[in-house]
Amino acid sequence: MTTVRIWFTKTGEASYISLLDLQRVMGRALKRSGLPVWYTLGFNPHIYMTFTCPLSLGQESLVESVDCKTEEETPDYEAWKTALNRVMPSGVEVFKVGPVVMKPAKIAFADYTVRYHDPAAVQVLEQYNALESAPVVKKTKRGSKTLELKQYIPRLDLRQEGEETLFDLRLPAGDGLNMNPTLLTGYLAEQFGLAAEGVGILRTRLITDDGRDFE
Amino acid sequence: MFDPKLKEALARVQKPGRYTGGEPGSVYKEKEKVDMRFAFCFPDTYEVGMSFLGEKILYEILNQRENWWCERAFMPWMDMKAEMERLEMPLYTLESKDPLTAFDVVGFTLQYELSYTNILAMLDLAGIPFYSKDRDESWPLIVAGGPCVCNAEPIADFFDMMMLGEGEIQLPMVCEAVEKAKKEGWSKRELLRALAEIEGCYVPSFYNITYKEDGRIEAITPTENAPAVVHKAIIRDMNSQPLPTHFVVPMVGAVHDRASVEVLRGCVRGCRFCQAGFLYRPMRQRDSALLDKAAQELCSNTGYEEISLTSLSTSDHSQLEDLLDRMDVWAGKEHVSISLPSLRVDNFSESLVQKTTKVRKSGLTFAPEAGTQRLRDVINKNVTWEEIEKTCNIAFRAGYTSVKLYFMMGLPTETLEDIEGIAQTAQRIVELFYANPDKPKGKSVQVTISVACFVPKPHTPFQFVPQDTKAQLEEKQQHLLRSVHSRKINVNYHDSSTSFLEAVFAKGDRRLAPVILAAYKKGCFFDGWDECFKYDVWMETFKEFGIDTAFYANRFIGLDELTPWSHLDYGVSHEFLVREYNKALGAMTTKPCNRICSGCGANKLLGGPCFDYSANLVH
Ligand code: SF4
Repeated sequence: MTTVRIWFTKTGEASYISLLDLQRVMGRALKRSGLPVWYTLGFNPHIYMTFTCPLSLGQESLVESVDCKTEEETPDYEAWKTALNRVMPSGVEVFKVGPVVMKPAKIAFADYTVRYHDPAAVQVLEQYNALESAPVVKKTKRGSKTLELKQYIPRLDLRQEGEETLFDLRLPAGDGLNMNPTLLTGYLAEQFGLAAEGVGILRTRLITDDGRDFE
Repeated sequence: MFDPKLKEALARVQKPGRYTGGEPGSVYKEKEKVDMRFAFCFPDTYEVGMSFLGEKILYEILNQRENWWCERAFMPWMDMKAEMERLEMPLYTLESKDPLTAFDVVGFTLQYELSYTNILAMLDLAGIPFYSKDRDESWPLIVAGGPCVCNAEPIADFFDMMMLGEGEIQLPMVCEAVEKAKKEGWSKRELLRALAEIEGCYVPSFYNITYKEDGRIEAITPTENAPAVVHKAIIRDMNSQPLPTHFVVPMVGAVHDRASVEVLRGCVRGCRFCQAGFLYRPMRQRDSALLDKAAQELCSNTGYEEISLTSLSTSDHSQLEDLLDRMDVWAGKEHVSISLPSLRVDNFSESLVQKTTKVRKSGLTFAPEAGTQRLRDVINKNVTWEEIEKTCNIAFRAGYTSVKLYFMMGLPTETLEDIEGIAQTAQRIVELFYANPDKPKGKSVQVTISVACFVPKPHTPFQFVPQDTKAQLEEKQQHLLRSVHSRKINVNYHDSSTSFLEAVFAKGDRRLAPVILAAYKKGCFFDGWDECFKYDVWMETFKEFGIDTAFYANRFIGLDELTPWSHLDYGVSHEFLVREYNKALGAMTTKPCNRICSGCGANKLLGGPCFDYSANLVH
């Protein structure tokens, strides 16, 4: 049995597929592809799948991945990629299929690009940069705790693209502390009235604890 | 990239995936390269609309033409509608995200009367004038199809053209005419005149309706050379009409999120309350080999793991067992399960149970529709207690522990005794379960009674009868509750006020159009959804316009009276409806079409007898 990691983008239309729906969408895509994927045994067999590092609804990503299994010992990864791209919904593009190199637990950080359309954003973001402290409350299943945003995002390096204001972020991700970029956009909305709806959030990299690209 | 306004709206609404498109199977074309653009509009939510087979059929047929592009639009849910209004975003199609005004044809499917206000809401969101007379050729042609077209007179003034009958051949003919009109620069009137010549195409503005002093219709007069009677379009040979082999597969769950093949169209049973049973006559089936091939192809193209064999009455397919055997060869291997949604009590056999329950045992549902044999004979629901008993015994032996029974209330000639009969039927099923030696061990039974209010519908033998008043229906509901004595029996019933509005619309005429528009403007839409239905606003609006709702819903229509739908022909003769109505009063049944022809007149649509009675079609 080989575990295969399928790397894909999740942009545009596809960014509105929730994780629950994505499982069904991927399952159907794998079924349509006709690839020899492995089904779980038991009363209600289904395609085995695990998603690496789930993304929030409405956010986009260039680095999503899902693992599935096959009885093929040496899968033809290029052929897999071609077969999968034929059956994916808009916004999902499979850019790599390959063996599993690292365990998902290795993921420690994620990079994001945040994009504001609102012209008022520049001023607010500069105000953030001038702050000494920016405490936010993060809710988890086990209750809530207060984090100091400034510790993780000391300043935002802004750049303009047409009317839009962009900046990059690196935030803790994975099994330990997982920080969603919405902690920042939510904070800016609450403190400065900068609307968080419609802000573009794109995940661009997943990084391991020793600073390498997650593979 | 999405427009920032759309992104903002999507960030604020529930289940944004309903408004994005891009699903596997959705069709994208370059708009500069197409000659005709069609917006297929479903006047209800995405989840409801994406469950509708008709749209999938027509979407595939239209998009097969390289130079046409058919896209989809749905009614946005309340939160999205509010966002779109706030952000001044016109209603768009999911594929190109272009506003409806960019299309040549905007087509609505009319599946139920209570979606009428949603049509107005969708036109409004798109910035399209409501009335046909207020739109010149610069606006898209606004058309409608679907079962309600059999009497959509209450909203006829909003449409340029309506299509009676089956769309597979008719709709492409309409689109061809539109394409030609566009190329040759026809006026709207010229186009409508050409459309009126196509089978089943009805141009409401070509008919003048006059009324008598007492409110009844005096005359329906065609103008512009339009035919006096419009005859529905029909597919004469279902085997010649390919089945869809691609579906747009929704990514947020639809109500029915599975593959489906339409095994037959129409119904042989002739239940007298059932409008679909009369609208789609005669029954025509497809060969099992063809169905099997289409089913397998559809499953492999969509990735669905469940396929349903749909129709009004799937178990009346004469080759059903053969079809299931064929599908059995590949279904298991390809991880596909088969479901039969409309099993009938009277030919539910042991082997059918086995073939469809291999994967999971869902509950068993039956529709006896009435609680006593007498009333079942009145409505021609040819189901006997012996058959219910036999079926339940088979099902209990096969491990079923829950039974859902559908009934109607307010049927013609109904008495309180018939209402008690509903409770007794459920009680006897509970007793059957406990008396069955092979019942599932250690489990108890749950019988659910679901009672709908009867709505008399045009083109049925009950079109003449008045609907029970709200007070009568509520009294009957209370009586039913008093008649149920077991905790194993649940009773679900529906608020009668939506059924009342449905009855008014179903038998309504053109004088209702301004009322519907006014009610919409006061905030009535999604009338079919309990959380949105505003009964008081409706009643107040009828009053403002001086409309007596009882005239439409609670009045007996004379057997020789001109009805708002007298000029719309579905193949079934008026004489037959009268004959069936009289038989109903005498509790006399009519045999299914595949057993003996009762001469309804629909055979003329096929140009020969509906069935080959020398072959044994009944099983
Ligand atoms: S013509 Fe006869 S067989 Fe055909 S639909 Fe009518 S009643 Fe049935």
